[in-house]
Amino acid sequence: MISIDIKQVTKKFGSVTALDDVTLRVEPGELFFLLGPSGCGKTTLLRSIAGFYVPEAGSIHFDQDDVTRLPPHKRNTGMMFQSYALWPHMTVEKNLAFGLEERKVPKAEIRERVAEALASVKMEDYGDRRTAQLSGGQQQRVALARALVVRPRCLLLDEPLSNLDAKLRLEMRLEIRRVCKSFGLTAIYVTHDQKEALSISDRMAILERGRIAQIGTPGEVYRRPRSKVVADFIGETNFIEGVVAGREQDCLVVKTELGMFHGYPGDADWRPATDEPVTLSVRPECWRLSHGEHLEGPNGIKGQVGEAVYLGEVAQYRFACQGQQLKIFELNPQEDIQASDVIREARVEPRDVVVLPR
Amino acid sequence: MSRTPAILVFFFTSLFFFFFFLWPIGETIRGAFFTADGQFTFLYILEVFRNPIYLEGLWNSLLMGVFSTALAILIAMPLAFMADRYYFPGKSLLTAGILIPLILPPFVGAIGVKQILGQQGALNALLEGMGLVCASSPIDWLGESRLVGVIIMNALHLYPIIYLNLVAALANVDPAMEEAAENLGCTGFRKFRKITLPLIMPGLFAGGTIVFIWAFTELGVPLMFDYGRVTSVQIFYGIMDIGGNPFPFALVAVLLVSTVIMYATSKLLFGRNQHAMMAKATSQGGPRRIPLLPALCCTGAFAGVMLLATLPHMGVILVAFSNDWYQTVLPADFTIEHFNDALGHNLTLPSIRNSLKYASLATLLDIVLGIAIAYVVVRTRLFGRQILDAMAMLPLAVPGLVLAFGYLAMTQEGKLFGFMNPAVDPTLILVIAYAVRRLPYVVRAAAAGFQQTSVTLEEAAQNLGCPPFRTLRKITLPLIVANLIAGGLLAFSFAMLEVSDSLILAQRQADFPITKAIYELYQLLGDGRFIASALGVWAMVFLGVTIIGASLILGKKLGAIFRV
Repeated sequence: MISIDIKQVTKKFGSVTALDDVTLRVEPGELFFLLGPSGCGKTTLLRSIAGFYVPEAGSIHFDQDDVTRLPPHKRNTGMMFQSYALWPHMTVEKNLAFGLEERKVPKAEIRERVAEALASVKMEDYGDRRTAQLSGGQQQRVALARALVVRPRCLLLDEPLSNLDAKLRLEMRLEIRRVCKSFGLTAIYVTHDQKEALSISDRMAILERGRIAQIGTPGEVYRRPRSKVVADFIGETNFIEGVVAGREQDCLVVKTELGMFHGYPGDADWRPATDEPVTLSVRPECWRLSHGEHLEGPNGIKGQVGEAVYLGEVAQYRFACQGQQLKIFELNPQEDIQASDVIREARVEPRDVVVLPR
Repeated sequence: MSRTPAILVFFFTSLFFFFFFLWPIGETIRGAFFTADGQFTFLYILEVFRNPIYLEGLWNSLLMGVFSTALAILIAMPLAFMADRYYFPGKSLLTAGILIPLILPPFVGAIGVKQILGQQGALNALLEGMGLVCASSPIDWLGESRLVGVIIMNALHLYPIIYLNLVAALANVDPAMEEAAENLGCTGFRKFRKITLPLIMPGLFAGGTIVFIWAFTELGVPLMFDYGRVTSVQIFYGIMDIGGNPFPFALVAVLLVSTVIMYATSKLLFGRNQHAMMAKATSQGGPRRIPLLPALCCTGAFAGVMLLATLPHMGVILVAFSNDWYQTVLPADFTIEHFNDALGHNLTLPSIRNSLKYASLATLLDIVLGIAIAYVVVRTRLFGRQILDAMAMLPLAVPGLVLAFGYLAMTQEGKLFGFMNPAVDPTLILVIAYAVRRLPYVVRAAAAGFQQTSVTLEEAAQNLGCPPFRTLRKITLPLIVANLIAGGLLAFSFAMLEVSDSLILAQRQADFPITKAIYELYQLLGDGRFIASALGVWAMVFLGVTIIGASLILGKKLGAIFRV
């Protein structure tokens, strides 16, 4: 198990800055996610770690070793490519044996380890197949086995599930986590699918235009986003603009067009001054909607349900309030609410209101 | 590939191009503008335009180029449409077979044409037999209008180049483009003229240009027709006294400049608008089934063109087997004597050996250079790689005759490359000459291979500990080997039957390649043409065996080899 230290890395392609002063540390044995919209630099960062790009500035360390300028073939990373990159002119077994042959492992041991690796991804019966004869899910398993069989220092996964159908994706992401943890590997996983990141990552970094927007555990990133970008990218949210009206210990009071709100800053160290313009982020599922009764507590608003979508386990409403449209999700809805002119109340707990810089 | 090897490859290929492409051209230009004692002069060029013989040659060359191209387009266009739009019986075989003429030497075919169309030839004999022509005054098909014969021969040889380009261009046209036209009420020929033709124009232009340059400067065919009133042949005869005579230089320079001017003009007129297809085809294109009768018409058209195009070569085969063929439709009686004579003649075996040696060395050089250039062009972001790419394609645009002449000029005694003097040993300069002319095919083939092979396949190997050069050997080359074989084979076939370099650069009998041996044998009185035909048949058989063998190795249909 190694740690991966990325220090102030900058990478440019012509006039485009793909990575802008990126610093992060991946702990030994961690399953770390790089997440962000396309073009944010996440794949560039992964490829820099693999050695396919050399950054213009900054350094990359595996434990104590500076690998910044080491060519890819000397880094001993196991990479899984988005397209799998299985060699079509070799059988499954040959694909797996390739890395071991490069490492001059004795023939007998190669056979043993290839068989072992195929078994670990449940592909032991497919060793003599051509890779073109495999389904997408099987190719994905072979690619994973090929990266693992050489016992790499770390595992690098570049959108490994994006070519699979939805059902297989769910299954394979748990499989990838199981394999990583059982091999005790430090792994970096690039994706733009927030569900993948939230469900199996230890920690994640959200990148935006070549910079790191936030690093944290899934819970931290989802519940305490530090910027509008992160709040918007992970999950769904409502933004309400306002200005700081006052402070009650850590709790901020924010004046908005919908009324006064109590909430907490996403970044606990951030202390906005009075009258500073801010944005509130409130997740749709955090609201409680009244069904006629009066709701106790702060942060109440009044409005009408403009549009209702019933999905069984959840009902999604569009809630019109002072000219703004808010998304409100109600879990386990007990009553069919139809769009109507009835004035309803909605309320949210102060801990669910995240105050962000505008 | 990291920067340093890429820069080295760039440097050495550029050097190679400088010395063996730009230098010979420069050498020729210099000969055209400077007198023996180094004085600049414009007189030689002026004299070319004053001398009625040279002027007539230029005019005839132009006619030869224009009409050969036009005829080739007329042949290829309907075929390409049929192949793109319809299914018909025997399609896969015929679309491959239609390409065969490309590799049959037109120069050898000319022997057959003369036998068939000559005054005492098969056609007149047939017409006499039918009572249409009087035996005492046969029609001289090849007399005053020998140029027509040359043009027909060129077109029948070169139409596959246009056909291949058109098929590729048609496959790229989104069917929705034509459907949109039909939807707006434009159909039939109007639709073709207003929609389809503009869209395939770049493909037509690309093919047409190659064919025009090829035909404009064709040497072998007019030479075999004994037609001296074209510039290429005048240059060939002028070479006999290259030391003192500046006019071959001037003619070559005029030829080169007019090629460039005509290329630029036509590019301006036809090739300007490269219409990028907005999106990938929205509807399923591809050929469709049609009723049997029209389908059979397609089959007939393909078979007819194929028959017509191979007719000269069948003529050659008949000549090779005939004891006597005079004033009859078919030879009077047959013999295999000529094949023995051909093998027994002291020109034959050495010439086969020489051709094999030159062609395989040239192919090897092409493959090495082709891989290196294609790799730098496709796989690196090196500054100037597009220039390298363009340079590698240039030999297609420069007449082979011009280059051959340039090589001869630059290897004269006392020049920088005097040590390669073909009068002493032409091996080196012939190998280079063959290689430069065929390099574009190999570069294109290798580049297509690199483009089709995802770069992540190489990255995966490096990620697993394989250094870059070994990655090339273990992953990339095995994946593009089919492309390399296809490109190499094309290079080899063309080199085996190369005409202008061979006729001009091989000067001693012991160094003759096959084509020059055929030419020399043909000049012999008596049974010369029979022996030359027999050697031509040997060459065709040999080429056929090579290509079929390679197609078996490739495990693909024959036609796939030519879709470079």
